[in-house]
Amino acid sequence: MVSVELLSHLPGFILDVSWEVSDGVVALFGPSGAGKSLTLNHLAGLRRPDAGRIVVRGRTLYDSTRGINQPTRDRRLGVVFQGFALFPHMTVAENIGFGLRRLGSADRRARVGELLERLGLGPARDLRPHALSGGQQQRTALGRALATDPDLLLLDEPLSALDTPLRRALRDDLALALRGFGKTAIVVTHDLGEACQLADQIVVYEGGKVLQVGRKADVLGRPASPAVATVLGIRNVLEGEVLEATPEFVRIGWRGHELRAANWSERPALPSAGSRVSFFVRPEHVRLMRKDRYGAPVDRRMNVFRGDLVGETDLGTSLALQFRVAGGTPPARGYDLEIEISRLAHEKLHLDYDRQWTVAVQPSAVQLLEVPGEPIGTILPIG
Amino acid sequence: MLGRVVAACGLLVLSGSVPHESTSGRRDGLVVFAASDLQPAFTELGPAFEQLTGQPVVFSYGSSGSLAAQIELGAPADLFFSADESYVRSLAQRGILDRASTRVYAEGRLVLATLRSSGITVASLDQLLRPEVTRVAMANPEHAPYGRAARQALVSSGVWETMAPRVVMGENVRQAAQYLLTGAVEAALVSSSLALDTALVSAPLDPALHQPILQAAGIVRSSSRPSDAQRFLDFVTSDVGWPVMERFGFVRPHVR
Amino acid sequence: MFAEGLDLVPALLSARVAGLSTLAAVTLGTPLAWLLGRYRFTGRALLENVVLLPLVLPPTVVGYYVLVLVSRRGPVGEVLAAAGFDLAFTWRGAVLAAWIGSFGLFVRSAQAGFELVDPTLEDAARTLGRSEWGVFWSVTLPLAWRGIAAGTALAFCRAVGEFGITLMVAGNIPGRTQTIPLAIYDAVQGNRMADANALSLLTLAVVVLLLLLARRGARVRF
Repeated sequence: MVSVELLSHLPGFILDVSWEVSDGVVALFGPSGAGKSLTLNHLAGLRRPDAGRIVVRGRTLYDSTRGINQPTRDRRLGVVFQGFALFPHMTVAENIGFGLRRLGSADRRARVGELLERLGLGPARDLRPHALSGGQQQRTALGRALATDPDLLLLDEPLSALDTPLRRALRDDLALALRGFGKTAIVVTHDLGEACQLADQIVVYEGGKVLQVGRKADVLGRPASPAVATVLGIRNVLEGEVLEATPEFVRIGWRGHELRAANWSERPALPSAGSRVSFFVRPEHVRLMRKDRYGAPVDRRMNVFRGDLVGETDLGTSLALQFRVAGGTPPARGYDLEIEISRLAHEKLHLDYDRQWTVAVQPSAVQLLEVPGEPIGTILPIG
Repeated sequence: MLGRVVAACGLLVLSGSVPHESTSGRRDGLVVFAASDLQPAFTELGPAFEQLTGQPVVFSYGSSGSLAAQIELGAPADLFFSADESYVRSLAQRGILDRASTRVYAEGRLVLATLRSSGITVASLDQLLRPEVTRVAMANPEHAPYGRAARQALVSSGVWETMAPRVVMGENVRQAAQYLLTGAVEAALVSSSLALDTALVSAPLDPALHQPILQAAGIVRSSSRPSDAQRFLDFVTSDVGWPVMERFGFVRPHVR
Repeated sequence: MFAEGLDLVPALLSARVAGLSTLAAVTLGTPLAWLLGRYRFTGRALLENVVLLPLVLPPTVVGYYVLVLVSRRGPVGEVLAAAGFDLAFTWRGAVLAAWIGSFGLFVRSAQAGFELVDPTLEDAARTLGRSEWGVFWSVTLPLAWRGIAAGTALAFCRAVGEFGITLMVAGNIPGRTQTIPLAIYDAVQGNRMADANALSLLTLAVVVLLLLLARRGARVRF
């Protein structure tokens, strides 16, 4: 359990965050310059904030109101730095054993041996960092951080120093290693895929503030605001007017049509009729209806629109289609919705020629983003 | 590897602890600060004096000006032989040298020297204007007595203006001689003692062309052995010592 | 080639003087180089320039001013003399002169060595439990070693060759303060070229040997 409150002034930037997470892997996610690495530096005691409080597993590492500021060496941390920061003048074994001064030489050798074994670094034990592969360097850095059995593990963009083809493979290794850690591991990353694969909790950072804290599924599935959605890279963030709101569903007026959105049961407040609301639809949840099925009855709760495909972007394994809803005034950018389909589907549906389509969106795929009166962050129940 | 380097350094440092200067039984050397042009003569006179009196002498050579500055600032000299009497006079005036002990021990003689191997001979100052003499060396008149005298001689002979572009100035008269010996210049105005070098031929200059170069000496007041210093000073100008000085080109001062 | 009875006293004196001077340069210079190389503070540029000054000014000028300070009548010399410690015109003065002439060289080189140390590595050491002193010994110093070793070699060579400042501050007194360069100068002045050559070759040999040793020393791994 880690709880953090930090206030820090830098030239042209203010960090003002407050969050709490339970044991497990936590991703501090957000764009570059949002204050994630700065938070890590404060946690590690490498930089002193202006005010705040840091408590890790019941131990207060920093508390400006009580004048507590534990020096880095006493904080019982393990840190994996961006670029790994391995000591170039020491071997792998010496790097890993660096923090184990307090142990007797026999105990130290045993512990180092155990870690080398566990991380598959046995054959590399007497090599210097410059002779190691990227993956070996990462594992050495991890081993060095874990050797002292720290209370808290901090990782600053652990994969950004590696080449892209290597990154996926090592991400898997890292995910496995972190899961085995047991206590809290905090990973700073600006890569959403990385955050999703490694972490079970996400803290969303932007401009020195925390926009949302929660379990991964909650943050990704129910972003608290358009700002969070933007940071998460969510497409199809739209705005409409609430026509009717009940605990089961919300009807939204949008582009001259009526959208039905499933309301989620834990939401405490109901949006009031006539108010503006933001919502989003995931591009992969917008389905093109097959033309040979046009006659078939459609569930009247489904949201159905007719329109034209006005453009497309090739994403490699899939394509993003730009769809304009028929009728009314089209938006300034030229299209209303982005639809993501696989290459196979694109070929099968002959989308090169056939541009008029009807699309369907399930009510559960329409996610409300912001409702006045709803708190943005949520404190997780323990466990 | 590192250990060996450290050991080597340690050895170097400790090696300096070997006793130097006075070995057992020998008396502490009398410290004489002397102008550089006295080196050849004193190299002989020093051991001769020790033979005679049992008192060893240690010589520290340099330019009269910096030696004088050092003595003023407390250098451990017992005796000061300057190439220029002005330094002795000023130090005596300020009580650093024992005024009563000061005396002019020699008069400097300026000569025109050329390299024997060059085949060029110059007998008088105007002959320096010959085309084969492209450059002439002399000591710097600003602070060297022989340089001052050389300039005075050139001026009074009326050739200074014409000579000026061809003149190369040495720090002191010894350096001027070195320029000549290394062939950097074809002729040089040096002291008679320096011109005794077998590689050089020289012609004396009329002493009336310049103010006399009076070389003076004096005993340092703070010396702990003024009587020994006096003995050496006397020795240099004595019937035993003076022939050596003469051999090296020094002339007895004229009483004017 | 070797003159009969070549006086090796200047060589021994030079060894002692240069050795002590270099020791002083390294001991005082390493923390200074660390400070200049790792921290930004007001007056840093000024301090750097003061350290380099003796390397830039003519040695006789430097020597004169130092002598004025440390002679028995000078402000520093007076205090030392009262404590029974003679600096000017003694081998200690020669050590001071050699130190003044070589200190800047050492600091420059060592400072460059310290500047190259990645501060993130020091941070890593802190997170692994080392005290500030421990960080210095286990990470900063080993990584700055190249610069320090090179600086030491340079400083020693410069100290061995120190002439102008030594001439003024310590004087050219054979047996007491006449180091090798002064002895060579004397030999040249007295037209004893054989002696001059012998001493010069000796110096050259020692310096070359030391530079070779220093190159190997710089490659030492901790």
